[in-house]
Amino acid sequence: MVACSSILKRIFLHLLFVTLFSVLHADDPEKSVIQIMTFSQQPDWDEPWNDSRVRGSTGSGFVIEGNRIMTNAHVVSWAKQIQVRRFQDSRPHLAEVAYIGHDCDLAVLTVEDPTFFEGLDPLPIGVLPKVRSVVNTIGYPAGGEQISFTSGVVSRIELINYVQPGNRSLLAVQTDAAINPGNSGGPVLQDGQVVGVAFQGTPGLENTGFFIPPPIVQHFLKDIEDGVYDGFPQAGIRLSPLINPAYRKYLKMGDDSASTGARVDTLVSDSAKEFLREDDVLLEINGYAVAADATILYEGNQVHGAIAFSQAQHGQSVPVKVWRQGQAMEIALPVHVNQKDRLEGNQYEPPKYFVYAGLVFTPLSRDYLTTFGQNWSAVAGIGLLYELFYKKNAEPGKARKEPIMLSTVLSHPVNANMEIRGRVLVDAINGHRIDSLEDVIQALEEHDGSHHLIEFGERLGFECLDRQDADSANAAIMETYGIQKDRWL
Amino acid sequence: MKAFVRHALWFALAALVMGLGGGVSAQESTQSWSSSVIKIESTRHQYEYFQPWSRRTASNNKFGVVVHDQRIITTADYLFDQTIIRVQKGGRGSWYEAKLQWIDYHANLALLEVEDAEFWDGLQPVRFADPIPTTGEARLMRWNDGRLESRRLEINRLRLGRSALSYIDLPQLELDSEVEGVGWSEAVVVGNQLIGLTTSQARSKCSAIPSFLVQQILKEVDQGTFRGVGFFNFYWKKAENPAALDFLELPGQKRGVIVTEIIEVPGHESVLHPKDILLKVDGFEIDIVGDYEDPSYGKLMLERLATRGHWAGDPVPMTVWREGAMVDLMFHLPKADYRSEYVPSANYDMPPEYLMAGGLVFQPLTEPYLRSWGGEWQRRAPVRLVRLKSQAPTEEDPSCVVLSAVLPDPYNLGYQDYRYLALDKVNGHKVVDLPGLKQALESPQEGFHVIEFLPGEAVSKVILDAPLLKDATQRVMFNYRLPTDYVVGEVDLP
Repeated sequence: MVACSSILKRIFLHLLFVTLFSVLHADDPEKSVIQIMTFSQQPDWDEPWNDSRVRGSTGSGFVIEGNRIMTNAHVVSWAKQIQVRRFQDSRPHLAEVAYIGHDCDLAVLTVEDPTFFEGLDPLPIGVLPKVRSVVNTIGYPAGGEQISFTSGVVSRIELINYVQPGNRSLLAVQTDAAINPGNSGGPVLQDGQVVGVAFQGTPGLENTGFFIPPPIVQHFLKDIEDGVYDGFPQAGIRLSPLINPAYRKYLKMGDDSASTGARVDTLVSDSAKEFLREDDVLLEINGYAVAADATILYEGNQVHGAIAFSQAQHGQSVPVKVWRQGQAMEIALPVHVNQKDRLEGNQYEPPKYFVYAGLVFTPLSRDYLTTFGQNWSAVAGIGLLYELFYKKNAEPGKARKEPIMLSTVLSHPVNANMEIRGRVLVDAINGHRIDSLEDVIQALEEHDGSHHLIEFGERLGFECLDRQDADSANAAIMETYGIQKDRWL
Repeated sequence: MKAFVRHALWFALAALVMGLGGGVSAQESTQSWSSSVIKIESTRHQYEYFQPWSRRTASNNKFGVVVHDQRIITTADYLFDQTIIRVQKGGRGSWYEAKLQWIDYHANLALLEVEDAEFWDGLQPVRFADPIPTTGEARLMRWNDGRLESRRLEINRLRLGRSALSYIDLPQLELDSEVEGVGWSEAVVVGNQLIGLTTSQARSKCSAIPSFLVQQILKEVDQGTFRGVGFFNFYWKKAENPAALDFLELPGQKRGVIVTEIIEVPGHESVLHPKDILLKVDGFEIDIVGDYEDPSYGKLMLERLATRGHWAGDPVPMTVWREGAMVDLMFHLPKADYRSEYVPSANYDMPPEYLMAGGLVFQPLTEPYLRSWGGEWQRRAPVRLVRLKSQAPTEEDPSCVVLSAVLPDPYNLGYQDYRYLALDKVNGHKVVDLPGLKQALESPQEGFHVIEFLPGEAVSKVILDAPLLKDATQRVMFNYRLPTDYVVGEVDLP
């Protein structure tokens, strides 16, 4: 992840790959490996009407069925222009993102010029490689202009956090391949078939690179068949190990089942609340037996049971076998893509904002907090961290759908006497609780009193603005600070 | 030669200044202070909250000054959890055992007494300056390697600041100093009068408790009328934004500050409301930045009026502008008390409380516990626990207990990674303290202990086998060398 402009921000993402050209089985697979150059521009969450300077970066991709190129989402995030080049061909061709899945860090590109694909064979998608087997990677990592071939051994297969979304964990394969910035999105091959898409490494650990395995790639391709990318669904539950003998006895689990079944600790989604109960014991998910430590045996790998739910597509039901109050029962559990934790992860849409009388309002999000600097969590303080990451679980009745920050105050005589100058959470405006940016706009625009009253949380009190002065100053402030639109929703 | 002349002039000037300031020469002044400044050695328990049954001790040296009736006054800092206090006069020679006669951690003051009459031979009580100077030069007096060290200080100002061991604001004398290692209750003097006792140092700035406050509290203690330090349990904001005063429809000149939030104190009913404009406190007008004009010290922050001749429980008259009308009211000062906080800032002179059941270690959530995460504890400790620091106590939910650790044992198999979880209920009973937890564990549900944590914790529930609990607890105590499974209150370990 090296390549794209978001890399610097997310230093965890790197690239992979290592060689061993001689063991490749397919004929000239390197011809189907594409070099991708992306020119991107990220928004500035602190001043959301501004964008960063344009940055160029490179990545890798490969041709798949349907005259398309598969790569990582992070290679083409925030792209303003994407250029692609064939093997040993210096001509750039313009490409576009057809589908992008930030949760699985995959994207599919199309190329304007139909002749681009002439003579290029799509690389077939294979199956999950075995641990200890050798895999080969091809791509365009940094350190040179030409294509690079590397190889490594499959070290382990498990659920890991995908850095592109930041708050999603999916199946990934770890190899001992050296990690080189530059060829994210390139194919990982075994027996002439793609068994993964190179995508990230772990800073500080040697010989650990990760690739996205075929089950995730196939799920993504299946998802986009209907023309819309939905994403990977979740069961909406928190699964806990059920190891303690007393707990097992409490749930009337027999002694003969000591190693099976994990406990539903918390119900998060609405569908989970409808179909499951806390302290239900999941015995099977989608045909996989669930062990007491909440894992399943998946293709010979002991992985977290959540994998079994993510095999389904958004809106489908997953068969589960449940032990409830001393009885086993079968349930078809609908699974959905979780949209409620959007603000907690990295987003790839321009930030929403509203500017009024120099007061800049924008949603509290992980992206916003990262503008506080490298040490953003310390700078943000407990109040904002709790509001964004913890409150919805700790105090669901009090949590806000979209917490809103007064991110900054653009100085002008109308607001110059305000003591609070930004980086504070907005509690209420003109007596209305603020649950979204739309609430801010409504509370300010529909108010006809002499003053606006803006109240903040965290013992910060409130501020007031003369409404008429504020209304009349708005246009001048917009002009002074070069803001073309007072809102982006 | 030129340097010699310059130094000589400086010495002459310094001598003149000292002479003018105190009416005695520097040498005489130093000599007189040698019979009033006392070196104190405090040995105290150092508790390890992650292993609350562990004990270590540490010793610190600090200073105090002799006051009337053969006592020593010093700051309360480093006298908490003490096991023995010794004092030394003249900076060398014999040490004498001292006893705490009185201590108040919020005021950060303590009185020591020494039974051995020999100790008092040749010692003289200090004279307190009142009022104290707020500009000019002062001197810091302390014993250093057998000699009385007298170092120059520059008085910056008198201001309100957070008391070293408390959450309340008290008057503090701010001084500039090039001296290192200040803050151990050294005497700050002008001439032959004490103007303060140092409390802290941050680079070249140090703070001292002004002598007028020491003197006032000492007088109350001697009369038996000291009721503790009171404080204003509300937040306010400056009224520098005229739009805010216009919004609240205050007529006339811009003045006062705006009350923004009331801090809940159990048993205290606040007469103030958010959005009140506080115009007058104890007869003094409050300006838009929150200052009043003190007759002795000029502009001071209004928090001073909570201790200016008042103590906990005293009424303080206030005038506020509320909803378009002037309202006179009587504010009763709540007492500063760590126990009135949901997460107490301190629990001095008490060993860490804990209850161990079947290897599960439960502790009250306190700031000392959170401080176990180190200097940056507010960032390093679990967010959910730190967040509880800002929770207001209620009658039903006055405090919190956490599962702090699990000592691995076959009984608690599968739970060994659970820690830092805030407790909600045990066997259906809301648990807010360890005695409540102990009682709840006496009523298992159908052979099980059902331990539930607050919503949002990493795990919602733990189940224990009730009939096996006692044996498991004994086994864990033996294996992990715990002296007891239950410590609550001021009783130390057996």
